[in-house]
Amino acid sequence: MYRQVLHALWSALRLPVVLLAVLAFAVPLLTVTYGGNLEDAPTGRVAEWLFAAQQIGVLIPGLALLVGLLLGIGAWMHDHAGKHVYALSLPVSRGRYVWLRFAAGATLLLAPVATLGLGALIATLSVTLPSGIHAYPLQLTARFWLASLVCYAIFFAISISTRRAALVVLGLIGGVLLGDLLLSALGAGASVTPTVFMWLTNWPGPLSILIGRWALFDV
Amino acid sequence: MSNAIETRDLDYRAGKHFELRDLGLNVREGSIYGFLGPNGSGKTTTIRLLLGMLRPIRGSISILGRSVPREIPQIMAETGYVPERPHLYPYLTVAHAVRFHAAFYPGFDAAYADELRRSFAIPLEQKLASLSKGEMGKLHMLLVLAQRPRLLVLDEPTDGLDPVVRRDVLSALLDFCSQGTATVFISSHLVHELERICDWVGVLDNGKLVVELPMHGFKNGIKRVRVAHAPSLVGDTPFVLLQREMSGLEQVWVVRGWQAPMVQWFEGVGAEVREVVDLDLEEGFVELLRSSRTPAS
Repeated sequence: MYRQVLHALWSALRLPVVLLAVLAFAVPLLTVTYGGNLEDAPTGRVAEWLFAAQQIGVLIPGLALLVGLLLGIGAWMHDHAGKHVYALSLPVSRGRYVWLRFAAGATLLLAPVATLGLGALIATLSVTLPSGIHAYPLQLTARFWLASLVCYAIFFAISISTRRAALVVLGLIGGVLLGDLLLSALGAGASVTPTVFMWLTNWPGPLSILIGRWALFDV
Repeated sequence: MSNAIETRDLDYRAGKHFELRDLGLNVREGSIYGFLGPNGSGKTTTIRLLLGMLRPIRGSISILGRSVPREIPQIMAETGYVPERPHLYPYLTVAHAVRFHAAFYPGFDAAYADELRRSFAIPLEQKLASLSKGEMGKLHMLLVLAQRPRLLVLDEPTDGLDPVVRRDVLSALLDFCSQGTATVFISSHLVHELERICDWVGVLDNGKLVVELPMHGFKNGIKRVRVAHAPSLVGDTPFVLLQREMSGLEQVWVVRGWQAPMVQWFEGVGAEVREVVDLDLEEGFVELLRSSRTPAS
């Protein structure tokens, strides 16, 4: 069953998955655009190189978000179009079918994770790092995997929900923004949006994994 | 004989304008049950309730002796369902769609599926998105027949298909039925189509089950009777009066449950039966709907 669901999802999403995998492979290689042997380079050049590499690293959580978004939405796209009638007519419980779909999407997600790991490994091997600077290809790959998985789970849950649930989520976002406008109009000096953003992005907020330094090379 | 499908006092409401009321279906095991009704009468909604896709407000549903929705996975393992519109994944090839479907049914008969595919002339490597409506309809029928189900639920399976494809699909269905004791629940508004294949019929109109009876009762029991000197008030009758209207000096009555000796009842009330005309299924169906909307006085 799982193998067939995986194959079906791969048939539906192979183009975005391949594109994401190529992107994931390319991003770590971009961090070594400056390339070359940095072993005896002056401190200024090393710092400049490190800063540029870390700037490019910002792309990685964005990529994790994109992976989660495309796979999460794509996992249910065609079921939504058919009002889930075919899935509901299969002799498995709704919960089991959801898990099958989730597991299939989570498996496809491993493709960009693997290519990012490969890219990170090649990037690491292509530079000679000065002392005090270290490469973290495995850690970066593991973090990318976790971040993609979290984003995938969030978008998977949103995309499986009913129109009413989607309206509730949109209503909450609208409510937060409206609350902000009201507070601002009253001159309260407080704001809801940054608080919500902090709650989402600070541990244990669900998006906290996307925040922070995403560097392949660091001290 | 037990019932393959049984509903009791089923109520369901969708929005302000549509509801099913007190639906009580009894589909006998091994029968081919035609579920007739005009468009919008609630046939698809009823089927979705039967298969646990919608939740009723009230009432109970039992399929193959199991309770809906509690035992839906077990029920669906023994039920083949062809929806009104095919909802198979369009990005799959025919071969993959068959493998996908088969993975969920341990008893899936791959050899039979292949035999049906050849007879339907469906290309194996073609994507579902590029199949014609007829090919898609045949593929769906192929998938559910190869499940070797105990119950087939078919929601207008031939709607929109050309006559050749329609004949292919119905032939495959009848072949399958002749091989075993499967129960078939088939909804349609194509009355003539059901007349050929069904042995029981239920008529739904505006969310209410108007009648449920054996096909022979439906075909032979509904008559148009030309009556002279008809009484103005009709008391107890040995038949069900569906409709009556003036036609010159006579009245035309449409009755259900007619038998020849009932002529005597007319003589007893001072009336005279001039002519008894058999109605075909479609005429009977139309008269039933008319009578359910404006009951005879």
